[in-house]
Amino acid sequence: MNSNLYIIVRREYLERVKTKSFIITTILMPLLMLALMFVPALVMIMAEPESKTIAVVDNSGIISNSLDGTKDLTFVLVNNADTESLKKNSDYDGILIIGSDLVDNPSNVQLYTHSASSMETEGFITNQLSQAVRNVRLQKYDIDNLSQILADAKVNVKMSTYRLDSEEEKETSSTASYLIGLVMSMMLYMFLLIYGQMVMTSIIEEKNNRVLEVVVSSVKPKALMLGKILGICAVAITQILIWGVIISACSVWLMPLLTKSVPSDEMDLMVAVGQLGDLGYVLGMFGCLTLFLIGGFMLYSSMYAAIGSAVDNIQDASQLTSIVMVPIILAIIFSMAVAQDPNSSMAVWLSIIPFTSPMVMMARLPFGIPAWEIWVSLAVLYASFFVMVWLAAKIYRVGIFMYGKKPSVKDLVRWAQYK
Amino acid sequence: MNILQANNIVKDYTGHRALDNVSIAVPQGKVYGLLGPNGAGKTTLIRIINHITAPDSGEVIFDGHRLTQNDVRQIGYLPEERGLYKKMRVGDQALFFAQLKGLNRSQAEQELRKWFDRFDISSWWGKKVEELSKGMAQKVQFIVTVLHRPKLLIFDEPFSGFDPINAQLLKNEILRLRDEGATVIFSTHNMPSVEELCDHITLINNSHNILTGDVEELRSRYGKDKYVLSYQGDSHALAQALASCCREIQMLDQDKNQRQTMEISLIDSDARRNAIAEANKAVELYSFQPKLMSMSDIFIKAVAESNETLPPEFNPQMITSNEF
Repeated sequence: MNSNLYIIVRREYLERVKTKSFIITTILMPLLMLALMFVPALVMIMAEPESKTIAVVDNSGIISNSLDGTKDLTFVLVNNADTESLKKNSDYDGILIIGSDLVDNPSNVQLYTHSASSMETEGFITNQLSQAVRNVRLQKYDIDNLSQILADAKVNVKMSTYRLDSEEEKETSSTASYLIGLVMSMMLYMFLLIYGQMVMTSIIEEKNNRVLEVVVSSVKPKALMLGKILGICAVAITQILIWGVIISACSVWLMPLLTKSVPSDEMDLMVAVGQLGDLGYVLGMFGCLTLFLIGGFMLYSSMYAAIGSAVDNIQDASQLTSIVMVPIILAIIFSMAVAQDPNSSMAVWLSIIPFTSPMVMMARLPFGIPAWEIWVSLAVLYASFFVMVWLAAKIYRVGIFMYGKKPSVKDLVRWAQYK
Repeated sequence: MNILQANNIVKDYTGHRALDNVSIAVPQGKVYGLLGPNGAGKTTLIRIINHITAPDSGEVIFDGHRLTQNDVRQIGYLPEERGLYKKMRVGDQALFFAQLKGLNRSQAEQELRKWFDRFDISSWWGKKVEELSKGMAQKVQFIVTVLHRPKLLIFDEPFSGFDPINAQLLKNEILRLRDEGATVIFSTHNMPSVEELCDHITLINNSHNILTGDVEELRSRYGKDKYVLSYQGDSHALAQALASCCREIQMLDQDKNQRQTMEISLIDSDARRNAIAEANKAVELYSFQPKLMSMSDIFIKAVAESNETLPPEFNPQMITSNEF
């Protein structure tokens, strides 16, 4: 009996792990995710913006000498020119017209461009104009050593945040925790959906082929169902472990490189990179992810298994799968809310209810939560998956021999009550 | 000695009694036919024998003890509705099923190679099942069923999907397995193959065992007082001569020797001598033989009789599940 369970698990596992699609997605997904993170950054660095020339018509007379160009942006002062002819002149990419009463009326500035101007350019210009107007206004007060005072008063506050409740005072970044949490909940969500449905479709297929009739002559239906769930669970764990190794490797080799390239005034980004570069932290996250993946998967996939056993084809299953889909989708929505406020009482309760706990926990985990909460949540989750597997096995045992009728939830409940 | 005994099996499903106090006894080393109309309860009985479902009451005795899950390894079951994993390779698949029956890998591979050679299908080993035709897949399935040398083999419609040549090959294999000591339970609707293969039969109708016995004995019992005459002469004169001692007279077509034939049912067995004498006087009589009923006739007759005697609540209740 036990050796039969092992033979079933082994077949389910090997038949899936050996497929090309598994190998490709397992290796390509992390690369794809890395690419998604780094390619935009690379493109931004590599892309040479075109240099632009902007004609400045300064009617106020206070601005022209305060406008500094950059290497991509050149300002050319054009005085007493006809604005209409300037607009037709294609040598200039844009014309900036500054009103004569700029100091009193700061909105009297117009920029005309031949193509869409970039936000960067607009921001650059308004910044400089504001500075110039401010200087003129300040000079009216006639204060000595004004520029000296201004330079002294200039300040840029940088805040570091520390957690007092964890064992060591550790620098944390809420933004990073938020993002890590969401990525992990999304990952778990995808795993539960994709692998859960894999359990269901594969049972429907076995039922349709009538291979099931042959297998149950050697194996108890309960063992067959359990074998399938465990086999597919092992596939999911294999995938997540491979990803864990890849990400840990990134954490060790790639993040230190990134740390150097991050400008020192980007505090948040620095801390985030530091957090991801902490191998212990990354391993802890993956350990928890794996434990919650196993619990959540067993819970949801046994529901999928019961549904798969009851129906003849995927179309008939769609109505019943909503029983499973709704809590999974609710869980991911809740976890987004919980990530905003990870220690609210709603967050605590949702991370104990087994149907939402895997994903909600993933969202809270990066912020650091007490260990006992994790253990309670895991205990409830694992206890409820045992109950769910037992219940699903009762439905499965009857369902696999039912053909031709589209079952309702009521039928499933009745089957579960058969001796 | 009986290798398998099912005693007073009862199995209920919601609103439907699938088996009502059914008992069968399968003698060791014989081919045992399990017959019955669709939905009679055969598949349920077979599933109980296979320890797939449990009876509500009654017991199954296998090889002298109560059936347990471990005994399943001594049973080979070829279900009527059967299939294989389409994406799996033939060899891997056969090994998988053999291991489920308790063979270790090398043992299983050795046995499998032997069978694949015997059926001349060694070249299929590395093929995926989806590349095989239906008949080819059935052959693989047959091998998987018998590979672990079970004491009890259960075949449910084993010949469906086979051409006559392969069906014959399979029949010979089944008889060979029986001669080597295996007991076979054979469920089918194909009555000529029952006459050809089975030693005993049980007929199940409407969840009841309505007929059990030795095939030859049943055929002559049902043919009791029925005789087939072959003769030459005036058929009407013969019919008139026999009228007093027969319940029923039926003219048949000429037999293969161009002789006239007639089937008669005597009023009782004492009338036989008299009938022979009368027939002799009326025509040139070549033979006067007891009629062997075909299994098909027996099947139809027994089912019709049992449907008449059953109270109305036992009318067959068709439910949607597969022969539940």
